[in-house]
Amino acid sequence: MGGQIWHALKGMLLILASIGLAGCRTTSVPGPESATTTPTPEPLVFTYPGEDWGYPSPFARDPRGPGYVRMSLLFDTLTWKDESGVVPWLAESWEMSEDGKTWTFDLRRDVRWHDGQPFTAEDVAFTFAYIREHASEISWSGEIAKVERAEAIDEHTARLTLSDPIAGPHSNLFGSVPIIPKHLWEGIEDPVKYLAPEALVGTGPFTLDTYSKEEGLYIYQKNTAFWGGAVAVDTLVFPKVQDTAVALQAGKTDMASFSGNEITVVKQIEPDPSYAVLPGPSFWVLQVILNTKRAPFDELALRQAVAHAVDRQRIVDQVTQGGAVVANLGIVSPSTEWANPNLPGYAHDPDKAKQILQEAGLENQAVTIIQSGWDREAELIQADLEAVGLQVTVKSADRATVDGLLKEGRFDMAISGHGGIANPSTLRTPAWPATTYENATYDALFAAQSVEMDKPARRAQVWELQAILAKELPVLALYHPLMWVVYEADAGITPFYTAEGIAGGIPIELNKLIFLER
Amino acid sequence: MRQPARTIGGSPSLLQCGPALAGSILLGTLLVLAVLAPILAPHDARTLFEPLLPPSPQHPLGTDDIGHDLLSELFYGARFSLSIGLLSALLSTTIGTLLGLLAGYKERLGYAIMRIVDVFLAVPRFPLIVLMAAFLQPGAGTLLFFFTLFGWPRAARLVRAQVLSERNKGYVEAAQLIGARDRRIMARHLLPSAAPIALPRFIAEFQHVIVAESGLSFLGLGNPLVKSWGLMLSFAFRYPSIMVTDLWVRWALPPGLCITLVVLSLALLSYALEEQAIPHLRAWKSSATLLSQAAYATRSERPRQKPGREGLAP
Amino acid sequence: MGTKAIQTLLTLLTLVSLNFFLPRLMPGDPLSYLDNNDPGTDSAMLLTEEMRSQLLAYYGLDRPLGEQYLRYLGGLLRGDMGWSIYYNAPVWNVLWGRLKWTLLLVGTATAIYVTLGSVLGAFSAWKRGTPADAGLLVATFALGSWPSFFLAMLLVIAFGLHWQLFPVGGARSPYLLDASRWEKARDVAYHMVLPVAALVLTQFSGVYMLMRNAMLGVLGEDYIRTAYGKGAPERRVLFQHALPNALLPVVTMIAMRLGFVLMGSMFVEVVFAYPGMGTMIREACMARDYPMLQGAFLITMLFIMACNLAADLLYGFLDPRVGPSGAREVRSA
Repeated sequence: MGGQIWHALKGMLLILASIGLAGCRTTSVPGPESATTTPTPEPLVFTYPGEDWGYPSPFARDPRGPGYVRMSLLFDTLTWKDESGVVPWLAESWEMSEDGKTWTFDLRRDVRWHDGQPFTAEDVAFTFAYIREHASEISWSGEIAKVERAEAIDEHTARLTLSDPIAGPHSNLFGSVPIIPKHLWEGIEDPVKYLAPEALVGTGPFTLDTYSKEEGLYIYQKNTAFWGGAVAVDTLVFPKVQDTAVALQAGKTDMASFSGNEITVVKQIEPDPSYAVLPGPSFWVLQVILNTKRAPFDELALRQAVAHAVDRQRIVDQVTQGGAVVANLGIVSPSTEWANPNLPGYAHDPDKAKQILQEAGLENQAVTIIQSGWDREAELIQADLEAVGLQVTVKSADRATVDGLLKEGRFDMAISGHGGIANPSTLRTPAWPATTYENATYDALFAAQSVEMDKPARRAQVWELQAILAKELPVLALYHPLMWVVYEADAGITPFYTAEGIAGGIPIELNKLIFLER
Repeated sequence: MRQPARTIGGSPSLLQCGPALAGSILLGTLLVLAVLAPILAPHDARTLFEPLLPPSPQHPLGTDDIGHDLLSELFYGARFSLSIGLLSALLSTTIGTLLGLLAGYKERLGYAIMRIVDVFLAVPRFPLIVLMAAFLQPGAGTLLFFFTLFGWPRAARLVRAQVLSERNKGYVEAAQLIGARDRRIMARHLLPSAAPIALPRFIAEFQHVIVAESGLSFLGLGNPLVKSWGLMLSFAFRYPSIMVTDLWVRWALPPGLCITLVVLSLALLSYALEEQAIPHLRAWKSSATLLSQAAYATRSERPRQKPGREGLAP
Repeated sequence: MGTKAIQTLLTLLTLVSLNFFLPRLMPGDPLSYLDNNDPGTDSAMLLTEEMRSQLLAYYGLDRPLGEQYLRYLGGLLRGDMGWSIYYNAPVWNVLWGRLKWTLLLVGTATAIYVTLGSVLGAFSAWKRGTPADAGLLVATFALGSWPSFFLAMLLVIAFGLHWQLFPVGGARSPYLLDASRWEKARDVAYHMVLPVAALVLTQFSGVYMLMRNAMLGVLGEDYIRTAYGKGAPERRVLFQHALPNALLPVVTMIAMRLGFVLMGSMFVEVVFAYPGMGTMIREACMARDYPMLQGAFLITMLFIMACNLAADLLYGFLDPRVGPSGAREVRSA
């Protein structure tokens, strides 16, 4: 009797073990034809920690930055960016018409797709037309909607006609849209669900060898026939690790990035000569959104009082341990030329805050703060505001809930942040600077700068926008977290931070250029 | 001849006294510390000092990443965690016992109640917690509500099983025959027999809530501004260098140990309780045996004719 | 019999409907995650309102709730669990990818702690009152009182970081691409040691106590005394009389508990970054991925029901009074 149960248990264990082992197969993507040359004696494997960011096709990927970057290793754009600015990529040169509405691209002639087919202007024309038709499934910016016509003039010349001129098209359009092969995507009705290996055929320096969704694992192999020269790395591995600091120090990864309060880890590793540290820009902002659409924050006095009451430096020192800089009140990243250095300041002055409140008759005003995940900041802000006499309640919930409340405008103050602040086009979106901010002058100015082709003029307009924000205070920008990349000094790869971010402003250091022998 | 029966009914050995004593002392101490927290804690847990101070006479455990005194946090955390555990265990056991009594005694009502119990036991808890955290402020009240809501079905099920097996015994039938009212039967006859079930269940629920509350805070679903042991752990493990330095010893270890000690003391008490009852095998059965008995009883659709005799006849 | 079937069907329908409506009660929608801008996850492009509404239409989320519900039911009947919005893959594929790891982890842990707990519990009951029993009790209490995530963390710190004996997380190394099957299996086992240890250490005490109590309950019965009286050897009394009867409630209890195992391993999975159901459900909840959540809850629910059913059947099998051949086997001493 007991023996039967024992047998049953043994059997169960055996079954479970064999299920486990049988299922231990990753979805191996058959690599498209890349010429198998004799392998180098010691293949260089480069590891960088990450997680699952979707199947890296242009449409199935996670639309956020890391998803884009994993796709960009396989696919190329017309232009690209390096540490100093725009560089030619698939397009060798380009020309803009007088009115800024027509762009003609002279394409490279030696490019082949991963499956061996030649790359032509037809692919470029097809890409833009295809994306316009299926744009509903992809989160491109409104810029793609401005492409009226895309045509191939001859085999290596493509022309794009826009409905309106675009300022900075190399970030948002030409430098972001991946070119896809016409011969494989023609007839694919649902690009988001297209997960066949053919969806990964691009012109880029790598091909995908393995992708495991549940393990967040990507393994790339170098494209030996890459048009841009020799690829310095044979295999690129993106595993998911529990703790990047631990993995780096254990030698499990060659490079890792840190930001904000992880500065403590960076400081620990810095003295070690086998690692090099590269400090990066601050393309992210954490802010307190003040609901200007309803009481009590429709009063400018209250907003000003809050600006004086909150000790932003203390938040930077204590919460981020110095891993951030006090924010530009105009939101735009101080690491770029777009930031306005002449903005009015609101020094930390509790007495002044109390005075302003008294004069406006707003002492002892009760306010609530909603936030998700910014517990320490919330606590400090609550302490600061209570010190000037306000009654503060903090409500915490999960991210999606807080975002929902933000959209509906059901809050007094909200702690929330966003990125993309290297690109002035983020100064006005439905969500940014705040869903509750309405200012016709501001909007008009923003519209003007988005078509202004003269850079100094555009900069002046962008500065003006920031001045408005600093005066009106619909948001109180708190800090910009800093970033660092720590990498093994002898790994053979030197990372850099792309000027104004990859594509539309992704601040990650995974620019594919670092893997090329330049 | 080996006689495990030797100790049954004999005088209590240290083994039988020890756990009860140890458990009570441990739990008692922790409860007292929690109650006296405002007096015993060196500082107010919300005051901010210098962050990351090492242990010193003013701050025996040092401070955390924004300057809370860790020892004070530990004391106030004890208050919160223990009171949530105690209250929700009390509430859910009480409600569960009452409903279980009803369910066992009244056939039709019992059926409806048991279906509700089934649903509650099958419903996934995690999204409900997120839901609750979304609509209500995640704090003491919400947690209490949540744990009570999910605690009563288990107690109800066990109590009902016990009531079912008792219901068909002679004395119940006799009481019914002489015309005693249902409420009286339930209160005077069935309730006492449910007590040996309810008490271990209460202890188990207390254990469960303590651990679950800390787990939820650990996952970031609690109120981050209320001091609790789980929250201390949560902030500790969110700190980037926690695992590569010795910080965890004074930040993460104390609250973790406290939770463990509470669970341990409750386990000892639970053990002592059961050990007490075991010599009287015929009157008292473990919850598992009861449940399987009840399962047998309900399945075979025959009321058990011979209570007290179980197992095979040789 | 018919009423029982209708009962089950009704419960099933209720639960399936609950699965459908529950995720939708959470504030936010499945596209919320696109607004989540953690540092380092800035989009290449920005999502406009127009794009958003087009995306909603693409996923069928703009249809009236009733219609979505019926489509969902229809899909289920056809065996189609839907398409996950957050993971961008068929729900079943994602589910199975995670489920297999959870089953492996939890299955192994369960097998170990059930065996260990039963054996030691029976032994403890048999030697009740002796130092062996006391020692086992103390050890069990000491080990079983730790919260699972805390114990997991301690294991990581001690064995993963300090002594570097085991990996600190993950299911397997990504570097063994060309390794043999045997090496891959070894790697998986190697990664399982700490998480399984965490699960075993925290769950084992429950089974141990259960078995010990059940055994004690049985050992005091008349028929045991009779068996001794008849001069049966100790072994026979233990294995043929006591153990089978004690096993009854233990096994059914374990089978019932097993149903909750899928969610219960969440903490350990989170700490060890093990790619199982627990971490997936958490992610899907945060991302409000309705199809994924519906699928995950359905599977969990079916699993629980299957375990309860197995418990019932097992009970019937083990208890000869209720078993297939009625009151057969009379074990004579």
